[in-house]
Parts: sequence; C-alpha cells; structure tokens
Amino acid sequence: MGHQYKAVQWNVAKIVYDLYCLAALAAFIGIFMTVGLAAHPSGHRADPVVLLIRALGTAAFLMLTIVLAIGPLARLSPRFNPMLYNRRHFGVMTFLVAAAHFGLATFWYHASGPLNPFVSLLVSNPLYQSAEGFPFEVFGLAAFAILFVMAATSHDYWLNNLSAPVWKALHMLVYAAFGLLVLHVAYGALMTEKSAIYPALTVAAFAIVAALHLWTGLRERRRDAGMRGVSASDGWIDVCAPADIPDKRAVIAPLPSGERVAIFRDGAKICAMTNACRHQNGPLGEGCIKDGAVTCPWHGWQYRPEDGVSPPPYTEKIATYDTRLSAGRVFVKVRPNAPGQRSQFIMMGAAP
Amino acid sequence: MTLNRGVYRGRADSDMFIGWAKTPAVDRRFLVAALPTMLAGVAGAAYAVASNLDDPGAGAWKTGALYRATGVLATRPYPMLRVADATAPDGVRSVLIVAQGKCTSALKLPANDGRSYAVAGALIERGARRMIEVPLMLGDWLTPADESAALPPPRIEPLGRKTLAGQIMDTKCFFGVMRPSRGKTHKACASLCIRGGIPPSFWAKGRDGRESVLLMTDPDGGPLGESILPFIADPVRIDGEVFRVDDLLQFRVATHAIARI
Repeated sequence: MGHQYKAVQWNVAKIVYDLYCLAALAAFIGIFMTVGLAAHPSGHRADPVVLLIRALGTAAFLMLTIVLAIGPLARLSPRFNPMLYNRRHFGVMTFLVAAAHFGLATFWYHASGPLNPFVSLLVSNPLYQSAEGFPFEVFGLAAFAILFVMAATSHDYWLNNLSAPVWKALHMLVYAAFGLLVLHVAYGALMTEKSAIYPALTVAAFAIVAALHLWTGLRERRRDAGMRGVSASDGWIDVCAPADIPDKRAVIAPLPSGERVAIFRDGAKICAMTNACRHQNGPLGEGCIKDGAVTCPWHGWQYRPEDGVSPPPYTEKIATYDTRLSAGRVFVKVRPNAPGQRSQFIMMGAAP
Repeated sequence: MTLNRGVYRGRADSDMFIGWAKTPAVDRRFLVAALPTMLAGVAGAAYAVASNLDDPGAGAWKTGALYRATGVLATRPYPMLRVADATAPDGVRSVLIVAQGKCTSALKLPANDGRSYAVAGALIERGARRMIEVPLMLGDWLTPADESAALPPPRIEPLGRKTLAGQIMDTKCFFGVMRPSRGKTHKACASLCIRGGIPPSFWAKGRDGRESVLLMTDPDGGPLGESILPFIADPVRIDGEVFRVDDLLQFRVATHAIARI
C-alpha cells in the first residue's frame, strides 16, 4: 500500500522474483545467440546483430504472452499468486526488452541512410494498401507505443492520480498490444521464415492466452448468472448460511447491479465489502483475513472488515455493504455504503 | 440449499501467499517445482526458434582489415573498379564501390575518364563477387594510381531477352553485410539502401534450382531510379535484357516490366 511514493518498495519476494526473471531472460538470449550463431547446415553464419534483434523480439513476445497468462492462471489456482505479485516488474522488463529490439532494429535497418530512421520506418515499405505486403513495422511500432505508455504509468503514483478505473482501462490496452504483436510477427517473420514451427508457436501463444481468458471469463459469468432471479425487491439479497463462509475467508456474490461483493467471516463477525481492491481491482473475496484485516491476494493490500479502511498508517478506503442475519441466512444490502463508512455487520452469538 | 447458485466460495487453503509475508510452504513447494520447469521451457523455446531459422546466406563483411584494390574507375551504371584478376573471366574483376552506411551518393567520385585509381576500404565478399565499403572519414580512400593498367575496354555480351522470377535486393547487404538479407523483414533496409544509391541486384532461381544474381540497370544500362522501390524484396517476375559485362551479369529492365507474383 502506498501513500508515500518510492521508486520501488523492495522486499525479499520482489528481489527473488526479479532475479528469476532476469535469469530466465539471460538464459533465453544466451541460448538463442549460441544456437543461432552456430553454423547453419549450409555452413553459413548469421549476422550477430540481426540475430540479436530476433532474440530480443522473440523474448519480448514470449514475455508478453507469459504476462498475459499469469492473470487467469492465478484465478484458476492460488499457487500462481506469487507470479502475479510482482507482475508489474515483469511487465516493465518486457517493455525494456521490446525497447532494445525496437532500438536495435531501427538502428540496424533504418539508420545511416538517406532518410531519418523514424521516417524510414514508416515509408521504406510503402505497401499500406496491400493485404499481404503491409509493413509489419507499423504493427510493432503501435504495440511498442502502448507498452511505453503502460511502463511509464506503471507506478502507483499514476494509479492514484489517474484513478483506479482509468488506470485499469489504460492498462487493458495490453491486449491490443498483444494483438498488434501477433500481427507484427505474422506480417514480418512468418512471411520471411520457411519453417512451420514459427506459425505453430505464434498460434500456440495466442491460443493459450485466449483460452485461459475465455476459461476464467466464462467461469465467472456462469457464477454471476447463478444469482439471476434472486430477489432484491426489499433491497437485500439472500447470499448463504453463515456456516458456508469459511473462517477468515469469504464468499463472493454478484449483485443485481453486476457488482461483486465479498462477504468475509472472522470468527463470529460477518462483514461485506466490494470485491474490487482499491489498488488494482484485485479480487478481495479470494483473499483472507490476516491480523484482523481483509488481505488482497494480489499484492497484500489490507482493509478493516467493518469499515473498509486500510489499517494505519495507510488511508485507502473501499465501499462496504450492510449485512443482516435472518432465519439463519446471511443477507446483503444491495446498495453500498460510502467508501470507509462503518457497515452494519453480523455478530453471531457463537461461531457457527 | 445453503449457497445460492452463483455464490463463489473463497479459497479454502489454510495459507495464502502475501508478498510482504513469509511464503507459505505449499507455495514454496510449488515454486521449487514450477520455476525449473519454466526455465526449461524458456530454454526449449530459445532453442526451437534459433535452430529453425532459414539459411542466412553466404558472404562476409571484413571490417577488421583495410582492403586495397587498384584498377580503372567506372561510375556508370554504378561506381566500381575494374581490376586485373587472372582468376576472373577475361582477366577483369568488377569491384563495386559503396560508402559506409546506406548512402553511396556520399561518394564524391571523379569523372568517368578511364583513369586508374587505388581504393581502400572494407572488403565485402560473396563468392567471386566483391565490393569495397569506403569509410568516409578516411581522407585518402581514393588515390590516383600510376599504372594506367592495360585493361581492355569492358566486354559487353548480350545474352538475350529473358523473363526471370525472383527478388530485388540491395547488393551491399546481399554480398555479406547482412545475413540474412532477403525477405520481408529485410525489405525496408534493402529499400533504404537502394534509395541511397546502393546498386540493386536481382536474385533469380531457375527451374533447375540454380541461383543467379544480376546487377539491375535501366534499359539503357544506366542506374535504376526509385521507381523500383515498391517492388523490393517481394516475389516478382521481370522481363528484361540480360548482358554479360566483364564478370558481371547485368539485367536491363524497365519498371513497367516488373510484375508481382
């Protein structure tokens, strides 16, 4: 949680995470260069600069594929939460690798000519009206621009100043960047290289990302659809029996408005709050209560169950919902309280 | 009924990973198994992509040593030195001259007066084809030579009208500066090189699989203009006249005779 801005708030998990990412990146580039520089069966050797451009481009594409796969994987199993925790650093690293690819390719293919390199990038292949000959560079440039904006606004400073919904919407552009990168590869490398392994790998990367998102998306939609028909005529909905909520955990219920609410039980106390974390819209209901505070599974941001306020010295606030116990059932009021407002919550006589 | 359909119960794990807290044993065990698997996957991906790349092509760009050649300077269709070479057909080897980078127009060459010169630069070589890349900061890369070498005038032999299928490339990259130097990923570079005055060449593959590389000129044997730029690095079929000029094949073409395949 950050009401004070530091460049990076390091901890052991982040350092270990970054070291693993850097080791994997170094291994990828090292193996790519070693294998690529070994003589081709023809006896010819590739140009090391061209090879490095390809290694960096392939690494950036692979990294973005992994970045996009981590989110749904973490929804499917909490074991992937450690990979989600510092995904932002991995994303910035992806941008830096893409920047190295962009810079080297622009220098090597477009510099020291009769045109400005950036002009050359846009005009040296003029076949903009051709379905087949369309300049692949343009797709890469557009994807790079998106990655730049995302990396530049990745810090919590921007998250707070742009507001979470705007920041989230901006960062959803990563899907557009991924699509543009697929086109960049399809219109460039796939039209140049003969081996069938390249289209196979590109399609596999796209299919993995698409399938994971569809899977998790449909799962949530199915769950949301299950609440249709639940009456909210009096402004309250019947969610579950108290015993259905595991101690220190939550159930998540979609409201008729489409919002999701997380209903936590901490011993005898049952409190409800929005399911969206103030930080990055993480699913609070998939978290737990630690040290008396609701803790987000993504980055460990915490809120007091009764009023949705982060424990001091932090000051973040989220919306709470009133709850009541009626005929042995937990009911949640569909209208949220203002962020930070103490809610009406259930205190049972004894833990169920 | 207890839970309403659609209510999703939170995780039942006893431990939850929180970045700032101690990593639970269950997550540690998972990471110990998953991370080496991921590293192996990354290594496998690097190997799979790097080991299946197309043949990068022959050629070398020898930047480590200064190469010197002496011969008769010719500037049309493109700057080159005609050098006496017993191993070349008719004893003459054509050595193309280009500037460092992609702008051959940066070369300030004297008139095409048949005099001898010595040229120094980096040798770019692919088989019997040679090119000198002149470093412009080198003040005396071109010096008059005494030996008005007794070279015969260029032998120009017409080989007839031909329709060839292949790809337009720039000679500098193809001779060895870039490997690979063909295909769409190299299109913009080849286009920029040719725009900068580097001679275009045509790489043709016959039905028997034999490859030929021809220096491209306009129908009169002069340099080709920028009108060929849209066709560079695309599969094209061209109808034109083929000539042998000393040791080089020359393909004289009009832009309207270029058709995309």
